[in-house]
Amino acid sequence: MPHLKPSFPLLAALPLAIFTLAFLALPLVRLFAASVEGEAGFALYGEVLTNPRYLTSLWDTVLVSAAVTLAALAVSTTAALFLQRNRFLGRSLLISVLTFPMAFPGVVVGFMIILLGGRQGLINDLAKDLFSTRAVFAYSMVGLFFGYLYFSIPRVLLTVMAAAEKLNPELEEAARSLGAGPWRLLKDVILPGLAPALVASGAIAFATAMGAFGTAFTLATNIDVLPMVIYTEFTLSANIATACALSIVLGLVTWVLLLIARGLSGGAVAAAG
Amino acid sequence: MKKRPLVFSLQLFVTLFACAFLITPAIMSIAAGVTVNYFKGLESGVTLKWVGQVWELYADSIWLSLLIAVTCLIATLIIGVPAAYSLAKRPGRLSRVIEEFVSLPVAIPGLALALALLQLYGTMKGFRLSWTFILVGHVLYTLPFMIRSVLAIFAVIDLKTLEEGAATLGASQWRRFLDVALPNALPGILAGSLTVVTLSIGEFNLTWMLHTPLTKTLPVGLADSYASMRLEVASAYTLVFFVMIAPLLVAMQIAAQRAQRVGQE
Amino acid sequence: MKPMLGLAVAASLLTFGTANAEDAICYNCPPQWADWASMLKAIDENLGIKMPHDNKNSGQTLSQLLAEKEAPVADVAYYGVTFGIKAGDQGVATAYKPAGFDEIPEGLKDPDGKWFTIHYGTLGFFVNKDALGDAPVPACFADLTKPEYEGMVGYLDPSSAFVGYAGAVAVNRAMGGDLDNFDPAIAYFQELAENDPIVPKQTSYARVVSGEIPILFDYDFNAYRAKYNEDGNFEFVIPCESTVVVPYVMSLVADGPNPEKGKKVLDFIMSDEGQAIWTNAYLKPARPVALPEAVAAKFLPDSEYERAKPVDYAKMEQVQKSFGERYLSEVK
Repeated sequence: MPHLKPSFPLLAALPLAIFTLAFLALPLVRLFAASVEGEAGFALYGEVLTNPRYLTSLWDTVLVSAAVTLAALAVSTTAALFLQRNRFLGRSLLISVLTFPMAFPGVVVGFMIILLGGRQGLINDLAKDLFSTRAVFAYSMVGLFFGYLYFSIPRVLLTVMAAAEKLNPELEEAARSLGAGPWRLLKDVILPGLAPALVASGAIAFATAMGAFGTAFTLATNIDVLPMVIYTEFTLSANIATACALSIVLGLVTWVLLLIARGLSGGAVAAAG
Repeated sequence: MKKRPLVFSLQLFVTLFACAFLITPAIMSIAAGVTVNYFKGLESGVTLKWVGQVWELYADSIWLSLLIAVTCLIATLIIGVPAAYSLAKRPGRLSRVIEEFVSLPVAIPGLALALALLQLYGTMKGFRLSWTFILVGHVLYTLPFMIRSVLAIFAVIDLKTLEEGAATLGASQWRRFLDVALPNALPGILAGSLTVVTLSIGEFNLTWMLHTPLTKTLPVGLADSYASMRLEVASAYTLVFFVMIAPLLVAMQIAAQRAQRVGQE
Repeated sequence: MKPMLGLAVAASLLTFGTANAEDAICYNCPPQWADWASMLKAIDENLGIKMPHDNKNSGQTLSQLLAEKEAPVADVAYYGVTFGIKAGDQGVATAYKPAGFDEIPEGLKDPDGKWFTIHYGTLGFFVNKDALGDAPVPACFADLTKPEYEGMVGYLDPSSAFVGYAGAVAVNRAMGGDLDNFDPAIAYFQELAENDPIVPKQTSYARVVSGEIPILFDYDFNAYRAKYNEDGNFEFVIPCESTVVVPYVMSLVADGPNPEKGKKVLDFIMSDEGQAIWTNAYLKPARPVALPEAVAAKFLPDSEYERAKPVDYAKMEQVQKSFGERYLSEVK
């Protein structure tokens, strides 16, 4: 019998198709068009990609995002394993504490970091009292690192906890009975078991850090990640074309890096929640 | 399972340290929001006047944020759940590419996307000046999270077997979706919903460029207050934000746990 | 019945937040800056026009106006003089001469009326004495590079905020440079960088009041507001070398949605009553309206203000971009 009706699964994707076309695909095209509408035209991309200030900024952004992703994965995995395998009073409270920063706008996170690491911050006070030295880290890349870490840990934690729940304990028992120590266990049994979740949540954390603006905007001073540069281009001289070109470069670089990461990890599950 | 003391203590230490890192400044901020004078600290007294000031100045933006969050949820449910179903039924490279494309708004700076939206749709006066303009930005940003969450649950339940069973009983494609797929995916949908609402309430990057002075949302108001009001007022505003977010987060945690348990059945 | 109710609710929700007939929109009318809160209230009381406050800075205002050029949202805009000049050149500000335009001194307005000064301020140090600890209140730009002020000095980013650029121009002149030669300013900022300055991108009044930034390059009116209205010990210092007087201007936005209301607002701001409101916020009015005695007594003595001089604002505008780029490449 000829298929006259389109199948339901195909129809089900129609709202997505319409929305993505109208509000994502077309605007991206417009963004690209705006980037070549300036005086330099297409050559703008050549200029942008050979400008040392932009290249340094791109590099710094990738570096801090990668560092944050790795740190968040390390901390969240450790915490996730701990919380998944130990039941104790206050466990739910700990989990809530570790996940609430996910909702914060970047601006608030920036101010959290100033409270911790600013001139009047907790760490500086402690350093002055205990060691008689200054320890102001909020207004530098270190501050930004901690700011990004602040909202990345929660994002990764929930996913990894869910995956840790599904790990097969028999595999670990078997490995242990064969004499594997804790590090070997981690490396050969646990981490590979968690890999899809680690890759998926790591990807989201990395992408979020690459595109983040609010935190850097609040901390400013000496922080030249690419979203800040894009903001400066826009407000310094309303360099709309350059701002658009840089945005496209940022999006592309992030996308490519994520594709590579997925390829390297074997591209397992489409999403691990 | 035998507990290994070294591993246990290391994990405990990291977990507690992470908690301390995350909660200490939050507590400091809450304290500042109810202190008479931040510089002098808690000795200067405790007061709710800053919270009162926040409500006076920013009640509109708080209501608007709630409105946008709820509508954003409805939109992502209508767009995202069927889309995730569609992607789950046809796994493969195309689905992965589509999923990555839909996730782009997370990687591209909100500033840029907002600029593009402004240039494309800015001339439609009614649309531009209404809160629905901001809504579009929020849906763009939160849709990937809904889709991923629902896709994850579809990956875990054996959709194929469940639907085959229904098909042999004569259920049409639409009925299979409604009566088999959806109910089984509920935990994932719930987890995704809470993520969407939480992210929408806190969204700043896109909203900052898309808003007009008449359509300010909570985070934009928050940024405003940190810039130009006393620290106590800004902290009080953060306190109000916490109070709004806390129940959502607790619910999210419960929903995520329910979703995990589904995988074990 | 139910669907009708639902539709009614939906319809009313859709109009939540949209402008109604009484409103006008201002870009960059922050309630705490120059006491715009009082001005907005007065506009509401006298004209019945509700203008919500808006917290952009001058650079963001211009950029947003340009981004929205095809479909402007704002009716009036407020910004530093160089941004007003740019807005006029780029066609987002349009000609309008409010009542009293002729009384504004030459050089402080566009001959056609695309921008005009509404009030001025003088740049100096906004100091939180309590947060200085043992260090004395600084008197000169040169003092700030001394180690006793390590980590205590703040200045707004010259490439982003107008007050930042004004600060840079003031420093430049104090160190012997002029608008053709910014070497002294760059050298100064490089030296200051050794002292761990804090460089925000947005107005930081709150951070000075809380003590996070004890010394900020800012205007006299912000410092006086803290000194006389806030709890704590604040001072305004006019740097011993010299400094600049800086006008802030407004424009009628080209093709704005409510031009008639915009014009009324601008007329009110330039009227005697409007100008007097600025004086209560420690701003010098553009038109020669006398300062009430009580307010005049709160300013630093005129002898101090002699070190504050105007600049060729048109030239200041022309060199702004190149200075911004120089700052970004040489000081960061």
